[in-house]
Amino acid sequence: MRRRSRLGLAAGIALVFASARAEANPLDTFGFGSRGTAMGDAQAADASDFSANYYNPAGLVHAQRFEIAVGYFRAEHQLETNGRNNGVDPVAGLVGGLVLPGRVFGVPIAFGLGLHLPDDRLSRVRDLPQTQPRWELYDNRNQRLYLAANLAIAPWPWLEIGGGLSFMASTTGSLDITGEANLFNASQSQLRHQVDADLTAVRYPQLGARVWLGKRAALALVYRGQFALDLNLSARLYGDISHLTTAYYALKTASVDAFLPQQVVLGGSFLPIDRLKVDIDFTWVNWSAYVTPVANLDVTLAIPPPVGGWPAGISPPSVPAPAQVVPLKMSDRIVPHVGVEWLAYERGKFKGFVRAGYEYQKSPVAPQTGPTNYVDRDRHTAALGFGLRVDKPVAILSGDVRFDVHAQLSVLPDALTAKVDPADPVGDYVAGGLIWNLGATMLVGF
Amino acid sequence: MLVAATTLVAGRAAASPEDLFGYGPRSIASGATGTATSSDFEAAYTNPALLSRIERPKLALGMLGANFDVHADGEGLPGRIESLPAHGIDIGVDLPIPLQGALAHRISGALAFYTPTDVVVRGRILYPETPQFPLLSDRAQCLAIRMGLGVDLGYGLRVGAGFGALAEIVGSVIVATDSTGRVGSRIDDQLVATYAPILGASWERPLAHGTLRVGAVFRGALAARFAVSIDATKLSSLNIPVFNIAGLAQYDPLQAGLEAGWENAHWKLAAGLTWKHWSDYPGPLEPTLPCPPDEPDCGSLQVTRVGFSDTVVPRLGVERSFGLPRGAALHARGGYFFEPTPVPSHLPSSQRYDIPTQALVDVPTRYFDADRHVLTAGLGVTLEKPLRMSIDAFAQLHVLQPRTVTLDAGASDGSASTGNLSGTILVTGVQLGVGF
Repeated sequence: MRRRSRLGLAAGIALVFASARAEANPLDTFGFGSRGTAMGDAQAADASDFSANYYNPAGLVHAQRFEIAVGYFRAEHQLETNGRNNGVDPVAGLVGGLVLPGRVFGVPIAFGLGLHLPDDRLSRVRDLPQTQPRWELYDNRNQRLYLAANLAIAPWPWLEIGGGLSFMASTTGSLDITGEANLFNASQSQLRHQVDADLTAVRYPQLGARVWLGKRAALALVYRGQFALDLNLSARLYGDISHLTTAYYALKTASVDAFLPQQVVLGGSFLPIDRLKVDIDFTWVNWSAYVTPVANLDVTLAIPPPVGGWPAGISPPSVPAPAQVVPLKMSDRIVPHVGVEWLAYERGKFKGFVRAGYEYQKSPVAPQTGPTNYVDRDRHTAALGFGLRVDKPVAILSGDVRFDVHAQLSVLPDALTAKVDPADPVGDYVAGGLIWNLGATMLVGF
Repeated sequence: MLVAATTLVAGRAAASPEDLFGYGPRSIASGATGTATSSDFEAAYTNPALLSRIERPKLALGMLGANFDVHADGEGLPGRIESLPAHGIDIGVDLPIPLQGALAHRISGALAFYTPTDVVVRGRILYPETPQFPLLSDRAQCLAIRMGLGVDLGYGLRVGAGFGALAEIVGSVIVATDSTGRVGSRIDDQLVATYAPILGASWERPLAHGTLRVGAVFRGALAARFAVSIDATKLSSLNIPVFNIAGLAQYDPLQAGLEAGWENAHWKLAAGLTWKHWSDYPGPLEPTLPCPPDEPDCGSLQVTRVGFSDTVVPRLGVERSFGLPRGAALHARGGYFFEPTPVPSHLPSSQRYDIPTQALVDVPTRYFDADRHVLTAGLGVTLEKPLRMSIDAFAQLHVLQPRTVTLDAGASDGSASTGNLSGTILVTGVQLGVGF
């Protein structure tokens, strides 16, 4: 009976969790919470606080008490091409979450919620011409809200499993504009619009498991599903052109935005000595499935000439030729992460930690020798952090308070992109740069 | 191209589904009351002060469905107006804050979500002459998020605060031809959070072997605008204006509620009023070509403003509990509320440009709505052993009070006409809650 109930709860997890991750994921780049960021994001087998909502939802069930966390980070880009700063916007915002542990039928379970709330916006969509140089992985994909909710269960003391269903939205819709466009005084045009559109839900899973190999070692496996946001739109403009003629303009567009590749993480966490923890993760990222973020356009334009011809100074537009989308080729990558945590100070109710980490991602973007300019470079990321934990700091609190800070530096070494076509309008360029990430997190356990 | 992704996220004068039906199975089944009686995550919407009544953690998952059968009969009207059903999932989390000493059992929080199953947001802005009930079906088709915290101050006083959140869209789309003559686009759209506060308070005292409680709640207006400009001026040498595809995608009016409740182990009774400040609602649509501030009468086609009115919603709710073996209980619930329409019975005409005659013509503004009588009912079972859990089912029947509206320019000859409105809405749902 007990086993059945455990299995039933485990199966139920897939139904109960509901997580909402908003579009592409800034946490893949900058980590979640100061502790995990400082340890090179090697947290799949280690995280047991709110950050487990991202690193491995199974870890939530290891929390000992109800915890609330809040923090802030800011990442500044100094990414350049040919020595000129490209002005990639910073990523900054609140991070936080909670873990609510409990028992059902005597089996430990936990509910968790994780949030990254950017300062300026929940998300941003930028669809640029494919020839325009942009840092494909940093320019816009990290300008996103992250919201995840998960459930976890420990059916046996050595096994923890958890997961969530994330959802996003694709768009389908139509736009209709009718009336009269006044070419001689645009502000007196008699136009109106009608919109009929849906943001439809897109769901994808996030699952994790952690196996304890005694008290000093654990292994973890995490799967994060991919999603792609389809955007299928049609627009129609039909109207009178300054009483000269009628115009019909129809636009159909289909594109994919904010593609997040699926990932599998294999991680380990070890305590070789009492005061030192070592974490190692390997993340497989299915970049080869990346969908080119450029829209397919189908344009129809019909403007018959007015009787007597067009007035002087006005020339009708010709039917525009659609742009040919050049596919973006990307390769799968395995990203290694390593992190260490040293208990440097322990006295009474105080504990102090020193943390460090490193990760390396080889650029998945194929050389941009043709007309497209999806700029990217290999990324070496080193991080350092400190933590302070105070048990029962005040009488009303039976748990603990933790303060963590981190500093993370990503180095993208300069490299040359050489164009095959000597007449390429953009030409050869050298690209590279730095990304700084500083932040702090406070966690309260009740 | 996200052009519209976002353009369209927008929508019609939609508001949150809570404003249509209430939130949570107990509140929905009890006439959408709860400002004086809620005791779990429902209070994140009904009255955050009552979140302080939460004693133990709980996670709840439920489903809600609503079918709309609304009619508009008369000249030029179709009879039944097609309205897509609404289906959604609601998730609630009770979060008692386990402090010690003087603050023990005094502070609790909650999260409350509602998300439609098939859409995140339905955005529809129809031409005003299209027969439509803009305040009904699409209002149930949007994601809703509420969070709150309640504090028991002692002496029978509780206070609480929280917020509701929506997303609004701002952005631009530029369509142009490049140097090779190919058409391309540049899009920069952003989703920005918009919040509205929810404040609540309650006072209680023992009365007649039970507890009398008076609750008050204030909810700020929750408005999510969308505004995407489409600039195709560089597509050709034609002097095409920049299109302002804009409007209010979601709108909950500012509202204040006052409710009195009495409860003991067997009965829970509630009666209250909610004032809704609909007169601040500007309507769903903005002009495609707004006039510049220094030229308010620039001559472009403008949107007709419908004068919406403030409303007062009376509510009644009752719950009878029956004890069952092993600490279990059965709860029967019922209620009623009356939702007056904020839409006037005389609708002014709008205008459109008629291409054959090359002139502006009047068209009727067919924004329909009617007073709603809402009967509610529900059943629930709570268990303590072997697992602390609850199962609650609920139903609402909304009956649109038959109404005749006058439509300027509604007749085929351009004169005024009348429309007869009627209909029903059936809402059903169930929720499972598990205590930790």
